[in-house]
Amino acid sequence: MRWSSFKYLFRQGLHSMLANRMMTLASLGVLLVCMLLTGFTGLLSANVNSLMEWLGGENEMVVMLDRSATDTEYEVTGAQIRSIDGVAEAIYTSKQEALDQLSGDMGEYAYLFNELAGEENPLYAQYTVRVSDPARMEEIANEIRSLDCVEMVNSPDGLVKTFLNVQKWVQIISWGLVTVLGVVSAVVISNTIRLTVFARRKEINIMKFVGATNSFIRMPFFVEGMTVGVVAGLLASGLVLGGYHLVLQKAAAYFAGWEEVVTAVLLPVQAVWPWVTGGFVVFGLVLGGIGTITSMRRYLDV
Amino acid sequence: MIRFEHVYKTYPGGSEALHDVNLHIKKGEFVFVLGHSGAGKSTFLKLILHEEAATSGRILVNGFDLSNIKKRRIPYLRRSMGVVFQDFRLIPTMTVYENVAFAMRVTNVKESEIRRRVPYVLKLVGLLGKENTYPTLLSGGEQQRVAMARALAHSPQLIIADEPTGNIDPEMSVAMMELLNKINSVGTTVVVVTHEHELAHQLGKRIITINHGSVVSDDLPSCDEEEPASDPEQAPAQPADEEVMA
Repeated sequence: MRWSSFKYLFRQGLHSMLANRMMTLASLGVLLVCMLLTGFTGLLSANVNSLMEWLGGENEMVVMLDRSATDTEYEVTGAQIRSIDGVAEAIYTSKQEALDQLSGDMGEYAYLFNELAGEENPLYAQYTVRVSDPARMEEIANEIRSLDCVEMVNSPDGLVKTFLNVQKWVQIISWGLVTVLGVVSAVVISNTIRLTVFARRKEINIMKFVGATNSFIRMPFFVEGMTVGVVAGLLASGLVLGGYHLVLQKAAAYFAGWEEVVTAVLLPVQAVWPWVTGGFVVFGLVLGGIGTITSMRRYLDV
Repeated sequence: MIRFEHVYKTYPGGSEALHDVNLHIKKGEFVFVLGHSGAGKSTFLKLILHEEAATSGRILVNGFDLSNIKKRRIPYLRRSMGVVFQDFRLIPTMTVYENVAFAMRVTNVKESEIRRRVPYVLKLVGLLGKENTYPTLLSGGEQQRVAMARALAHSPQLIIADEPTGNIDPEMSVAMMELLNKINSVGTTVVVVTHEHELAHQLGKRIITINHGSVVSDDLPSCDEEEPASDPEQAPAQPADEEVMA
């Protein structure tokens, strides 16, 4: 195809968008609404997921060591814990450090612990262990329990299980919603494009009878479908990101004093915009393009 | 140029539109295909355009064998001819210029050639000055002439006119037939499909009469020239009809 033909067909696509502006607006509107619904559901899902990850990440287990063991044995146990697959970090706290920490926390009543120094110290030397995958918390805790110098392990297995369950269901439900909305969008858009193509079936028929090839006829419709898709994608991403920015501002104002938690839990606009904009533009391009091809097929068979 | 060999066409439902049709239209001929309504003229035209396929028999048009033509070759078959439809079939969203240029654009003609050729054919049919008008704003006769200009635009070797005088006044009919005659005089084959006996007999050309799906008469004037071998996908380098204006 000549470059001039390509330019001509591209211009024809844009021209027919204006010539059939009511149908263009209808397609744009439908696609925009579908994208807004999909976008907000997707963002809600991503944030719930982020909240669950944050809550899950806060869990750690405390490994209390045998009081009669020596410092060397404590070090060996520490090395054994760190070598377990899935352990991200193991921080040692000696009996004395644990006591200092406790008396420090007691403030003016710290003197009560003065008697407990040295041999009288009832606390355990301990390792605070963080795991890289909370789902393996119970398995790792059991492995640590089997080590020689370990007296006991305090692991919030139940809590972690609950978080993981909630996270799993939130993911299933939100992905299900996004998929259903995506499919609904595809069907609605395909029907809208089918209507535009149906309205111009005579035009297509005439083109066929003067010897136009299918690709020549399809090209302007393709340009039209994809342009509508991209424009709808950009508009939807602007509206979704603008709305999300407002939600973040409201959340920060509502949870005043908890800024650190809000910042840690809710995904910032900077983190989501490439996914939202890119996703919408690709979604629009694919829907517009594929919708055009499938809708035109029957009218090209003349 | 056009050859029908024992062509039968039966539509789904059992209605037989053409029955053992045999005919041969040679290059440079001017032929009327005459028949009353329902005689099979439209089916004849549909078979030539390959809008419908024959039930049996062999059809050759401009070097294309339509009995086994591949789908992707059909556009090339249609580009090898210019068709003036009875209902004009103009694209309402395109101007007169764009409608005519479109027939050239589909054949991948250079933009400079389109700019040169379109005003020429519009002048030929007497529509210079109407380039930027939309078809819906034109009279029936003017739309007919746009359709004619579009059929001529890519300089086809064969022009088919379906009831070219059906929607225009008698004065315009005479002008239209004169134009077709002029086009034929420079070597372009012209096939006029009509139900008007008077019109067909006026010019003293070959008349093929179809009745109840069969060729019932073929009034054949002497016509001995042979078809030159040519590549069916190639348009002539120099449009012969430009001699018409000379």
